[in-house]
Amino acid sequence: MEKIRETNKPANLKEWFNLKAKSFRKNANIVRELVNRNVKIQYRNSAIGVVWTVLQPLLNMLVMLVVFGTVLGYGDDPTYALYLFCGTITFAVMRAGTTQSMTSIVNNRGLLTKNKISQYVFPISCNLTACINFAFSLIAFFGVMFIVAFLNPEINIGTAELPNMVSSWSMFSPYLLLVLVVLPALFLFSYGLSLILATLYVFFRDVQHFYGVFLTLWTYLTPMFYKVDRFEGNIILYVIKMNPMFHYVEFFRDIAFRCPLGMESFDPWNLVIIYAFGLGAFLIGTIVFACTRRRFIYNL
Amino acid sequence: MDNRIETKGESEKVEQAPAKVLGVPKVEPPVGGSFPFSYNIMVDENIPDEEIAIQVKNVSADYLVRDEKVDNLKEWVVRFFRGKLEKKRDRRLIDVSFTIRKGESIGVIGHNGAGKSTLLKILTDIMEPAEGTVRVEGKVAPLINLGAGFDYEATAKENVYLNGAILGYSRKEIEQKYKEIVEFAELGDYMHIPLKNFSSGMVARLGFAIAIDVNPDILLVDEILSVGDESFRAKCAEKIEEMRKDGVSFVIVSHNLGEIKRLCQKTIWIENARVRAYGDSAQVCAEYLKYCDWLKKNKKH
Repeated sequence: MEKIRETNKPANLKEWFNLKAKSFRKNANIVRELVNRNVKIQYRNSAIGVVWTVLQPLLNMLVMLVVFGTVLGYGDDPTYALYLFCGTITFAVMRAGTTQSMTSIVNNRGLLTKNKISQYVFPISCNLTACINFAFSLIAFFGVMFIVAFLNPEINIGTAELPNMVSSWSMFSPYLLLVLVVLPALFLFSYGLSLILATLYVFFRDVQHFYGVFLTLWTYLTPMFYKVDRFEGNIILYVIKMNPMFHYVEFFRDIAFRCPLGMESFDPWNLVIIYAFGLGAFLIGTIVFACTRRRFIYNL
Repeated sequence: MDNRIETKGESEKVEQAPAKVLGVPKVEPPVGGSFPFSYNIMVDENIPDEEIAIQVKNVSADYLVRDEKVDNLKEWVVRFFRGKLEKKRDRRLIDVSFTIRKGESIGVIGHNGAGKSTLLKILTDIMEPAEGTVRVEGKVAPLINLGAGFDYEATAKENVYLNGAILGYSRKEIEQKYKEIVEFAELGDYMHIPLKNFSSGMVARLGFAIAIDVNPDILLVDEILSVGDESFRAKCAEKIEEMRKDGVSFVIVSHNLGEIKRLCQKTIWIENARVRAYGDSAQVCAEYLKYCDWLKKNKKH
């Protein structure tokens, strides 16, 4: 009996390439439909629908502004609203992306056990959905920026004794275009982490509860409503700086209002750090996922 | 067969496996090995290469399960340190071989848990065979259970698009087919309603309409022809007949022997993960019925 050519096994490099391109197109289509579905389902049966994606971070920010502005005494800082907003929406990308991806493989077992689909499409689509929600929140963010600039046309970036007033309208600067650079890095980081969590969740369902607690800790270890300068010289500062999310959140704040206002000078080194974290997580996640995904089917 | 030699070590394990297969009563066949067709004969049948739609050769499939389901971390850690974390290899299919021509239909019968669904999973490439080779020519559309992978939170329309993408179609292509799908399913007024509000018959209609409208070369059907009302069933049967004339191959898993005999030229009977009989549908079904009768009698004693 002669050896049979197995189907889908490419004969040469060109065929292999064509096959890869074909499956990439197919998976891209699936991701697009999944993202489309995720965005639509999110606020189904709600009266104002997708407007919530803009409104929700805005309302969250207002609550935090009132609570922490009073409690921590940042109420006088005109940029504190922006500080809060940058922190929460950046962190939300990671939080939503990872928590949804974690359960996505198991929750879509109906699709995975009945159809030939690449397992990667679920974490990718969850994280893309999170990025799209981020883009929606940016609309609210520009609104907040506009209001802040309108209420405080001049902001003091010096000290009380040595005032240094700058026009707050300079916040609308080309620096904002760097959002397009920070978002892919954040996506890579969140996606890499998602792959690890999704893998763990397939084998151990209690990862969900564990990660829930861990996220709370992570939220507090990321300077979202407090500023790190209150820990100057404290060991906690080093712990906070080990936290990858710290770098993403701070980088976004730099480009959103600190650098344009001249409060800080732009440090390209930060770009290297966020991409290092992003690519590192991406690589580890991909390796973990690739090695185990064939066994998922037995545990779904 | 010669090519079993290279995996001799494995096949020894195979011989003891059936007792381990979950949920299947271990019983001897009623008439020894005296079945009219041996599955090996059909494989060597001279089918010209270009006429082959599916060729399955000596395929065995494993299911990796842990003794008890260890799905929480505490259990895992405890067992890890006690050294009790062993995996069991469950053989779900053993040395299965068959060939399907283009345009031919094949029925798959057998008791629950015999390995029929595993076979379909192998054909759709969801599971990899532990041994043997599978060759599938053309586009496979799975029609496994009700709505192979529908999202019940999404509307019917969104499900059409999602399933179209899963079956390898671009958005544009699905847009062209959308009208046809809705027409065939006769669900015109319901396309913007979440699927969770559909009755099971309506879901089945939608699933069938999508699966046939993507023009598959091979359609895998698992126990779904028995749902839907009488008129829709007639419509499906008509469509299947039409597709068969166009050269679409079918793999039909069903417990309805009448349907199998009507639709399929050949039938595979799988029992305890092995092919018990393979050949002409009428004969295989007759053997299967004999076996069922024998089982019934044995249970009474």
